[in-house]
Amino acid sequence: MAIASDINPYQGALKGDNAFAQITDNVSRIMEAPKPPRAWYIAMGFSLMLLAMFGASLGFVVWEGIGAWGHIHPVAWGFPIVNFVFWVGIGHAGTLISAILFLLRQNWRTAINRFAEAMTIFAVICAAIFPGVHIGRPWLPYWMTPIPNQMGMWPQFRSPLEWDIFAVGTYATVSILFWYMGMIPDFATFRDRSKTTVRRLVYGLLAMGWRGSSRQWHRYERAYLLLAALATPLVLSVHSVVSFDFATSQLPGWHTTIFPPYFVAGAIFGGFAMVVVLAVPSRQFFGLKRIITMRHLELMSKIILATGMLVGYAYGMEMFIAWYSGAIYEQFAFVNRAFGNYGWAYWTMIFCNVLAPQVFWSKKMRTNVWVIFFVGVLVNVGMWFERFVIICTSLARDFLPANWGYFVPSVVDYATLAGSFGLFFTLFLLFCRYIPMVAMAEMKAFIPEGHAHDH
Amino acid sequence: MAQPKHKKDMVADSGHAGDYVDDSIRLGDEANGLFRIAAGIGVVGIVLAVVLGGGLTHQQFQHSYLTAFMWGLSIGAGALWWVTLQHLVGARWSVAVRRVGELLAHSLVLMALLSLPVVVPMLLGNDSLYRWVSHEYMASEHVLEGKAGYLNVSFFAVRCVIYFGFWALMARYFLKASVAQDKSGDTSLTARMGRASPLTMIGFALTLTFCAVDFLMSLDAIWFSTIFGVYYFSGCVLAVHSAMVLALIWLQRKGHLVRSVTVEHYHDLGKMMFAFTAFWTYIAFSQFMLIWYANIPEETHWYHMRLEGAWWPATLALAILHFPVPFFGLMSRQIKRNKTTLALGAVYLLVIHWYDMYWLVAPNLHKEPVFHAADFAAWVGVGGLIVAFVVWKARSVNLLPTKDPRLQRSLAFENV
Repeated sequence: MAIASDINPYQGALKGDNAFAQITDNVSRIMEAPKPPRAWYIAMGFSLMLLAMFGASLGFVVWEGIGAWGHIHPVAWGFPIVNFVFWVGIGHAGTLISAILFLLRQNWRTAINRFAEAMTIFAVICAAIFPGVHIGRPWLPYWMTPIPNQMGMWPQFRSPLEWDIFAVGTYATVSILFWYMGMIPDFATFRDRSKTTVRRLVYGLLAMGWRGSSRQWHRYERAYLLLAALATPLVLSVHSVVSFDFATSQLPGWHTTIFPPYFVAGAIFGGFAMVVVLAVPSRQFFGLKRIITMRHLELMSKIILATGMLVGYAYGMEMFIAWYSGAIYEQFAFVNRAFGNYGWAYWTMIFCNVLAPQVFWSKKMRTNVWVIFFVGVLVNVGMWFERFVIICTSLARDFLPANWGYFVPSVVDYATLAGSFGLFFTLFLLFCRYIPMVAMAEMKAFIPEGHAHDH
Repeated sequence: MAQPKHKKDMVADSGHAGDYVDDSIRLGDEANGLFRIAAGIGVVGIVLAVVLGGGLTHQQFQHSYLTAFMWGLSIGAGALWWVTLQHLVGARWSVAVRRVGELLAHSLVLMALLSLPVVVPMLLGNDSLYRWVSHEYMASEHVLEGKAGYLNVSFFAVRCVIYFGFWALMARYFLKASVAQDKSGDTSLTARMGRASPLTMIGFALTLTFCAVDFLMSLDAIWFSTIFGVYYFSGCVLAVHSAMVLALIWLQRKGHLVRSVTVEHYHDLGKMMFAFTAFWTYIAFSQFMLIWYANIPEETHWYHMRLEGAWWPATLALAILHFPVPFFGLMSRQIKRNKTTLALGAVYLLVIHWYDMYWLVAPNLHKEPVFHAADFAAWVGVGGLIVAFVVWKARSVNLLPTKDPRLQRSLAFENV
C-alpha cells in the first residue's frame, strides 16, 4: 500500500535482525567514543568564542549600565526584549514535540524529542538572561519574585512582566522534569555500558536506580502521560503570557487580541526551524542518519510550512483589522510598519516567514537537507525580525512627531545577540557529547521490530 | 419501527487476508421515520419562529434566526474542517467515523439555502439585524465612513456567495470522492483527496474568518477584534465533535456500525471535545482580558453591553458553563469511554455552544437577556432541518468508507 503517511520511518532504515542493538550502539557510541568528531571541536571552539563575547558584552553592560545598548527615546525596549522573545519562542518546539505530538500519537517524534527538549531548556536559559540584565541592576533580579522582605517591597502582580516570571518559571521547571524523567531509562543504558568508574558513578546517579522492571515501566509511562497532559497547556501559556507584555498595552501595533495564539504559532514555527537547523548537522556528524531519517526532516518541514501559514494568517488579520477598525492610529502603525523607515525589516520578515517556507510544498525540496537547513536558518532570521518589527517599529514613531526616533543598535547589542548563540550552542554541544541524544527506550517501542504483530 | 436490514459487506483490507467487517453499513427504514420527524420539526420550528418573532423582517425573528443559523453553521463548517484535517494529516484512527463527518459537512449545502432569510432582507435594505445596512447610520459616525468599502450590502452578498459556494463545493467533493471509492476501491482517490486538503484548509481558514466577521462581528459595526475568527472556529470544533458523537450513538442504537465503531473512536472524539473546551476558553479569555486590560473605548463598549445590568450574570454564566463545567466534566477517561456520559457531554456542549451564539447576537437587540420563544423555535427549526437533510443524504450512501485503504487501521486501533 502506497499511502506515504502510513510508512514507518524505520521500515527498512535499520537493516538486519538486531535493530534494538543498532539503536543503542548508534546513540551510545557518541558518548563512548574516546574523542568526539572533529566537527564537534570546531563547533565547540566557535561557540566558546561567542560565549566569551557574550560574557564580555554582558559584563560591559553591567559595568557601564544599559546605556551601552542602543536604546533611545522612544525605543526603550530594544534588542534585549527582542532576544528574550526570540529565545523563548525557540523553546517551544521541545515541549510541543514531547507533549502535544505524544498526545496525538505522532510516534515519529521519538527520534527528535530528546534533543528538541534539550534545545528548549537551553533556549529558555538564554531567554531568561536578557530581562535579568535589562532590569538595569542585574544583581537584584530576585526582586521580581514575591519574597517577603524587610523593605516591604512586593512585585506588581498587575504587570504582565511579572506574569512572565511565573509563566517562564513554570515552563522551565516542567520542561526540565519532563526532559530528565524521559532520560532515566537511557541513563541506565549508559550506566550499564560505561567502562570507567567515574562514568558509572555519574550515570548511575542520574539513572536513579532504574532496573527496567515492568513495575518501573508502568509507573514511568503513567508519569509520562500525566506530564504530557500538564505540559500541553504550558506550550500555549508561556508565549501567550509573553504576548501579553505587548498586547495589554494601548500601543497600536502591540495591542491586538490575536496576539496570544499568533505568538504561540510563531514560537512553534521558529522552534521547529531551530530543530531542523540543529538536526541536519547533528545527524551528519554523529552518524544518526538512520535514526533521524529523511522522513523525519520531511515531516518537520511540513510542520514548518503549516505553522508558517498560521503566522501569515496573523499578519494578514492584523493588517485587515487595522484597516477595518477605522482607527487612524491603528492604521498608521501598520502602514508605517510596512512602508515606514523600518519597512526593510518588515519585508525581511515577510520573505523569511511567509514566502521562504512555501518551497516545502514540493516534496523534492522538503527531502533535500540543504534546502531544509537553509529554510530553517531563514525562518530563524525571520522570527527574530518579527519580534524586532513588533517591538521597535511600534515604538519608534510615537503619537506625536516630536517623539519620533530611529533605533540603531550599538556594537554591544550585536555582541550580546551573537553571544547568546554562543551560550546556546555550547550547551547543546555538551549535551550531544554527554547525554543520550535520542530517546533510545522510546524509539525501540516504536520501530516495526517492536511490534511483531503490528498491522 | 422496522428492523434494520443487516447487510454483510466485505471490506477491502490492507493486505491482511481474512480481515473483513461484518456490520450494517446502510440506513434502513428507521431513517425514513427520523427524516420525516426532523423535517416536520424543522419546518414547524422555522414557521413558528417567523410567527413568534413578528415576521421575516422583524428584529426579533432576525436575531433569533441568526443565533440558530450560526449555531447550525458551526456544525457543518466544523465538519468540513474536520474532514479536511483528516485528509491533510493522513489520519488513520478516524476512517471508521469519517463518513459521518463527511455527511455532516454536506449540511453546508443546506446552510447556503438557510442563509437566505438573513441575506435577502438585507439586500432589500432591511437593517433590523445589521445597522450598517442603513446609509444614515453609516453617515452618523466618522469612523464608519471608512468601512463602507467593506460593510456594504452588495459586497456582503458577493462574499456570501464565495463562502457558501466554496464550502458546498468542497463538502460535496469530499463526500462524492469518498463514496466513489466505496464502489471502485480506487486508492488513488485517497491520494487525490489528500492533495486537495491543504488548499481547502487555507480556503477554509479565510472564508470562516471573514464569515464570522460578517455575520457576527459586524452586528456592531464599530467593534473589531483580530481573534474573532478563531473564536468562532473554536466553537465549530466543539460543535462538530459533539454532533458526531451523537450521530454515531444514534446509528449504533439502530444497529449500524456496531462492530466498526468502537469505544476507542468515542474516546478520541471525546478527547477533542475536552481539548477544545480549553481552547475556546483560551481564545475567549485572551480576547476579553486584552480588551479589558487596555480599556480602549472603541473595543470595550462591546463587552460593556455584556457586562452591564442583567447581562453581567448572563456573561458570568457563559464563562462558568462553557469552561469549568465541561472541562472537569469531560476530564475523566471513564466518562469519555462511556457512551451515556459522553452523549450527555455532547448534548451539553451543543446547548452551551448555542448559548455562546446567543451571547454574541442577542445583546445587539436586548438591553437585558431575554430568551424569546422565537429563539428556541428557530434553534429547533434549524436543528431539525439539518438532521433531516443529513439523514436524507445518508440514506443513499454507506455509513463507512468501506474501501478506504486505511480503514483496517481505524477498525483495529486502541488507545493505550
